[in-house]
Amino acid sequence: MSLTDTTSQARRRDLRIPLAIVLLAIALAVPFLAGRYVTHALIIALIFMLPAHGLNLLVGYTGLLSLAQAAFFGIGAYASGLLAVHYGTPFYVNVTAAGLIAGALALPLGIPALRLRSTSFVMCTLGFVIIGQAIAKNWISLTRGDMGLSSIPKPEFALGPLSFVVSGTTNYYYLTLVICLLATLAVWAIVRSPAGRNMVAIRENETLAESLGVPTWRYKLIVFMISAAFAGVGGSLYAHYLTVVSPLTFQMYYSTTVLIIVLGGGAGTISGTVIGSLLFVGLTEALRVAPELRMIAYGLCLLALVFWFKKGFAPLINRAWVAIGGSR
Amino acid sequence: MSTHLPILEIRNLSKSYGAVRAVNDVSMHIERGEIAGLIGPNGSGKSTFFDCSTGLARPDTGTVILDGQDITGWSLNRIAREGRMLRSFQKTVTFKALDVEENLIIAGQMFTFPSLISTFGIGGMARRRVAGLRERARDLIKMAGLWEVRHQPAGNLSGGQQKLIQFASMLMPEPKLILLDEPMAGINPKIIERVVETIRYANTSLGVSFLVIEHNIDVVTSICQRVIVLDQGAKLVEGLPQDIIQDQRVREAYLGG
Repeated sequence: MSLTDTTSQARRRDLRIPLAIVLLAIALAVPFLAGRYVTHALIIALIFMLPAHGLNLLVGYTGLLSLAQAAFFGIGAYASGLLAVHYGTPFYVNVTAAGLIAGALALPLGIPALRLRSTSFVMCTLGFVIIGQAIAKNWISLTRGDMGLSSIPKPEFALGPLSFVVSGTTNYYYLTLVICLLATLAVWAIVRSPAGRNMVAIRENETLAESLGVPTWRYKLIVFMISAAFAGVGGSLYAHYLTVVSPLTFQMYYSTTVLIIVLGGGAGTISGTVIGSLLFVGLTEALRVAPELRMIAYGLCLLALVFWFKKGFAPLINRAWVAIGGSR
Repeated sequence: MSTHLPILEIRNLSKSYGAVRAVNDVSMHIERGEIAGLIGPNGSGKSTFFDCSTGLARPDTGTVILDGQDITGWSLNRIAREGRMLRSFQKTVTFKALDVEENLIIAGQMFTFPSLISTFGIGGMARRRVAGLRERARDLIKMAGLWEVRHQPAGNLSGGQQKLIQFASMLMPEPKLILLDEPMAGINPKIIERVVETIRYANTSLGVSFLVIEHNIDVVTSICQRVIVLDQGAKLVEGLPQDIIQDQRVREAYLGG
């Protein structure tokens, strides 16, 4: 690496690292500064950030609009719940299995779905959510149907004779925060890699990418699987947080929420997805205290978005970033 | 690999769309190091022929042999990646939202990384590979005369400049053969000269063979060593450019449609 490269990187780091430290400090201090309810709202926001990160890879970077995130979210939740209830496996096993199972199931679902174009693909992914719910409702011997799975244990970490149960809201907040940080780093790594560049090429012009040797079909399938794995991990966290899973986990509403997070935050930007989750989920959860205002505030937010921020809030974030002296 | 083998050989290629026989039993070959021209009136099957040879469309019958290897039925991306036969499009030219340098780097990636999984790497190895691509991209950008605009989104540039980007992109993977679909259509004469220069450079210095669909007859006669004429999906005649433009059958095909 040349000398000029390192200096320009160092100049950029000047701002990035302090900002990251400040944000991390705020994130860590939240449970002490804010009340229990706000912390709870943030946990939900962080949980939904996971399927949103996955969807951002699909919609924002690869250009594939999918409504299947709720299906994989539900698959992850049920996988975790069933493992915990029937086999008593520890949390880290469940969360890993949830990601892997959701990712693996995305392969047979993605192979036919990704052959479809634009709107047909969207409808097909919507079908996955409906099928998921139907299975959860009717495979009673496994899922207990509408009764759902209850008393899923809170995460427990055992190290030799020591064991620690993540029971309180504050503890669960930290657990979710750590997983979200790892997920955000993973997304960052993917979009920064040469594969991320190929994904953008597919989004921009699939035929041209194909003519330059990019195996677009295989990339789309892999990204679909990765996005499902993210949703699966989110579902697992959801199951262990609420300690119950019901067929309602497979809900269209969740797919649209995740889509609003990504499009509203700014598709194709990581910061957009992070801020979108906090705004759209955190806000609606926080507004539960005033139920009559909640959906109105949510609706107004969407209207403002459509009229004034067609590209989501990401350009606004960029402007703020430049205003405080950040480069690019 | 024996050098007297043609770089591309196509045998008895046919393709129908419904009742229309777009390409009807066409055979041809491209010699190693040659610049061949493919001409014919509109609707004579030139583009369909291109699509079937490069994997964008599947031929009904016929065989495509690239550098001694049967590639019939391969996908577009595989033919580009493994066969190093690249093609351009009439309309689709660049990744418009991405800057010129990124356009070229994308074009080189699949030829530099050994596998799809390795493209997910962000370690030192991956970064060195991309750095190498960036260096090569910059050389080609200089050659194409696009140095000043290298950080601009390709979509902001003129049609001619975008054709140059597309052309430079196709040179990123050190191709064996390039198929150009009307490279001069809709660009100004200054850029035409530049594209002609670039084709000649790629041919003589980099050893790239070409098959060029082109309507600009001056360009065809100046760069092509041999011309193949298609008419109504079938091969009408082939020969030296100066003979072809004198040929009575060719004149009839163009005039008496």
